[in-house]
Amino acid sequence: MNFYSVLKELCLCPSVSGREQKIREKISAIVSPFCDEMRTDALGNLIAVKKGVGGGKRVMLAAHMDEIGFMVTFIEDSGMLRVATVGGISFTAAAFGEVVSENGVRGTIIPEEKVKPADFKADSFYIDIGAKSKKQAEAKVRIGDFFVLTPHVQKLAGGRVCGRPLDDRIGCAVLLDIAERLRDKALDGDVYYVFSVQEEVGCRGAMTAAFAIKPDIAICLDVTATGDTLGASPMACRLGDGAAVKIKDASVICNEEIVRGLCETAQENKIKYQKEILLFGGTDTSSMQLAGAGAAVGAVSIPTRYIHSGNEMCDLSDAQSCAALVSEYVKKIG
Amino acid sequence: MNDMKNSLSLIERLCGAFGPSGCEGEVASLIKNEIFDVCPDAKFDRMGNLIAVMRFGDVTASERKRIMISAHMDEVGFMITEIKSGGYLGFDTVGGISASVLAGRRVKVLTQNGLINGVIASKAIHHKDKKERQKAVDIDKLYIDIGACDKEEAEALVRIGDFATFDSEFYTFGEDLVKGKALDDRMGCAAMIEAMRRLKDSPPKKNIDACFCFTVREEIGLSGAKAAAYELSPDVALVLETTAIADIADAAASRRVADMGGGVAISFMDRSTVYSRELVDAAIDIAKRKGVKAQVKRYVSGGNDAGTIHKTAEGIKTLAASVPTRYLHSAACVANINDYFAQRDLCVSIIEEII
Amino acid sequence: MLKILISEIMMKDLKRFIFSLCAVPSVSGFESRSTEALRSLIGDELEFVSVDGVGNHLFCKRSGKQNAPKILIDTHFDEIGLLVTEVLDGGFLRVCQMGGIDPSIMQASDVVIYGKQTLRGVVVSTPPHLKKDSDLPKIEEMLIDTGLSTDKARELIEIGTPVGFAPVYTELLNGRICGKSFDDKACAACAAFAIVNTPKEALAGDVYLLLSSVEETNRLGGAAAGAFSVMPDYAMVIDVNLARVPDTKDFETVEMDKGISISVSASTHLELTRLTEKLCVDREIEHSMIAAPTSTGTNAASVNLTACGIPTVDVGLPLASMHTYTEVVSMRDCETLVKLVGEFISSEEIAEKMNFSEVSFI
Repeated sequence: MNFYSVLKELCLCPSVSGREQKIREKISAIVSPFCDEMRTDALGNLIAVKKGVGGGKRVMLAAHMDEIGFMVTFIEDSGMLRVATVGGISFTAAAFGEVVSENGVRGTIIPEEKVKPADFKADSFYIDIGAKSKKQAEAKVRIGDFFVLTPHVQKLAGGRVCGRPLDDRIGCAVLLDIAERLRDKALDGDVYYVFSVQEEVGCRGAMTAAFAIKPDIAICLDVTATGDTLGASPMACRLGDGAAVKIKDASVICNEEIVRGLCETAQENKIKYQKEILLFGGTDTSSMQLAGAGAAVGAVSIPTRYIHSGNEMCDLSDAQSCAALVSEYVKKIG
Repeated sequence: MNDMKNSLSLIERLCGAFGPSGCEGEVASLIKNEIFDVCPDAKFDRMGNLIAVMRFGDVTASERKRIMISAHMDEVGFMITEIKSGGYLGFDTVGGISASVLAGRRVKVLTQNGLINGVIASKAIHHKDKKERQKAVDIDKLYIDIGACDKEEAEALVRIGDFATFDSEFYTFGEDLVKGKALDDRMGCAAMIEAMRRLKDSPPKKNIDACFCFTVREEIGLSGAKAAAYELSPDVALVLETTAIADIADAAASRRVADMGGGVAISFMDRSTVYSRELVDAAIDIAKRKGVKAQVKRYVSGGNDAGTIHKTAEGIKTLAASVPTRYLHSAACVANINDYFAQRDLCVSIIEEII
Repeated sequence: MLKILISEIMMKDLKRFIFSLCAVPSVSGFESRSTEALRSLIGDELEFVSVDGVGNHLFCKRSGKQNAPKILIDTHFDEIGLLVTEVLDGGFLRVCQMGGIDPSIMQASDVVIYGKQTLRGVVVSTPPHLKKDSDLPKIEEMLIDTGLSTDKARELIEIGTPVGFAPVYTELLNGRICGKSFDDKACAACAAFAIVNTPKEALAGDVYLLLSSVEETNRLGGAAAGAFSVMPDYAMVIDVNLARVPDTKDFETVEMDKGISISVSASTHLELTRLTEKLCVDREIEHSMIAAPTSTGTNAASVNLTACGIPTVDVGLPLASMHTYTEVVSMRDCETLVKLVGEFISSEEIAEKMNFSEVSFI
């Protein structure tokens, strides 16, 4: 598969937490030749299985399909839309941005007049779709409809890409890449490619998927912050320095054996890697760790600048390192 | 008219029962009695949830569907944390209660010798300085007065860890409004009881098991509903709740959440759940076809048992249908009885139609 | 031969056993490094069941009875500590905290770095004549001095290396003991000691001792997964409880030397709590009841809400200076805890009343 064009296709398909049908359909079509079985569970997780030949460990690899966004809660007489946030929106980043609804209605997200940036919150924002009245707005939008910051992706200098929502469509693209790399490799254990839902609202989907799969080993593919932007808090993780092997984030401490195994695999295969300790934020890793009787978990992260803004930035070479590292690791243990 | 009278009396009995989170026994036995005629073999699980299963259609059929309906029996309340000198009781809340609705309330304390009366109080306004007069009294400055003469007398009766609740009169007022403590979520319990009776009289012809769960501990966020959902692993779950609304004068239209008298409120999203759009649309459609008054919740706030149920085990598709309620988590919750009827009727229709 | 000797002596001397177990390094998230040490301390006396991917260690003592109920005793095995986030020039380490450490104890304290070798280090402190104010730096702003050259430090210490406090144990007056990680390994030691010293014939069921992981760093704690894998009929969670010291409120604390505490909480099982209280009264076990309205702040809530629910009682051991390396507990209270655990796992009354195995709904 062409990584960049898959990434672009996934990014351009809006799918807020809890409304992942469209992206799921797209991913299903891409992953189906790489797996033996596919199913969608009650919450909407897409679970694709590559069957093993017998014995071996059950390995679960997960990337989330959902993204942050807005839900329409009320339509004013003026036709303006009141919204609630879905996931951790940064309003300073979203203010005056372009938005688009799940049904393709375009608009822009605006703070009320006289509200200072420090006081930005959902109640002080509205979406203007250009409607002249409540009636006109109601013809286009219903309460409960979702909006996202308008997706876009472009290539920048140095093999880097910029746009949104790279969190976590780039993880999904990496997971698809891994599935392709493992397609023809006979492994003892089953490998589960899970495209999870509702990560941005509390890592909900991975919890139920892991409960059903009961993996021995689970690895999460998600983005992580970096310490290489101006004024950033100290963090030993940089764009372009390779796959980030997670040691901990605020929600999880990864299994030490998996961390070691991933690092050794990277060294053996000369794959560029770095270690990641994220002091804030959590990922599906923690949900997979404590579902049911628990699993040994790890995570390989794609270093990403400006997460949750309208312009997230990644280095494509890091994504390639992530795909190479996880597929080699699975070959080793699977 | 009789129907109205019966419903009101049921809700009044339920609201009057003592049942803070973790101590729902009295509510549970009351409900067990109420449903004995329709479901004599209702049972308690190890958490204290009361589960009553009604089986419809061909019981031997291999293809049967299961729906879980839940309402929580517990209410916000108090726990005694300290016996102070003078025989006054220090306490903390069980579940979220704002300090501004505590002072001056009558309470009931469940002691080893049964329920006794008390009142929440603080020093008189004469003893408060200007700053103190302007804000709600902090909970650690409040105490419960049971009339004990000294610490010894109080200690002989009350144990640290004893539970208490608001003591509040239930009445109807205005146009179709009811007022009482614990409407959250005894109305949901009442709706389930009445729905069970109706289903008993005219059973659906589908092969479904309707599992009515009267659950514990919703108010502390560590809901017993999770254990019930795990035990039952239903195809669909329906949570009957109350939802806090602010449809009062002065509130901006966009923040009123839902309208009193506007019908049962169906949620798209709250702080614990993003509901499945297909299920929400199906519920709205059922309400429309059956002539049940329904509205959508127009603000994202709160959370309920759906939050834990939908994430249980391999995941469960979940719906929430709530009675809009003012002044939630106080001694004086206010709701419209017609919204309650809508909740009850929608519950019956959803059981009949959603799967 | 030597191994057997160690555990035999240990199981007769509670204080020594507490010191030995508490000195086993177990920084939250790195519990699995100490499986061998744990097995050599406990493994000859109790059956070692497993160490799982989350870092939970599970031991068992079987009653030998048919259809015996499963009784779970949970204490968490992890301890607070630090984690190396960066190795800086001059052999200094930047760290983050693993669990809620009181920053007021940090500066100029002794630490142990569990790198490729076990190394000693000191937390950097700015002397008073160079410092402007008394504000404490955040843990993430403090450095550890390894005394090593930059190159040597980078060779021996990787990012992600756990750092713990020095295991030093001293005795105070009146049987009080002082050292690190009594939270919660003193409880673990008391529980293991009680189970080992209760004859198999006296057990009311098969007893599982879960030394659970990541309690200090995870909202649920490893106990959620550990309890799920055991699926016991009922459980006791034992953790330390804040002792009454100067400048604390009476109702938030328990007195030292007055026995163990039992929590009444909406998040645990009321009937099992009352049965445990009754057991204490019947067997003259020193105890106090404390109110923990919404949550006990321990593993009890997550164990209680596992799967279809596991009736759980929350028990506390009074401890002063929690989350420092100079925590203090009373041996008298520890002995009381041993007695309670012994009686709890032998109680036929509790086993009978907590039997829900016949209940089915459909």
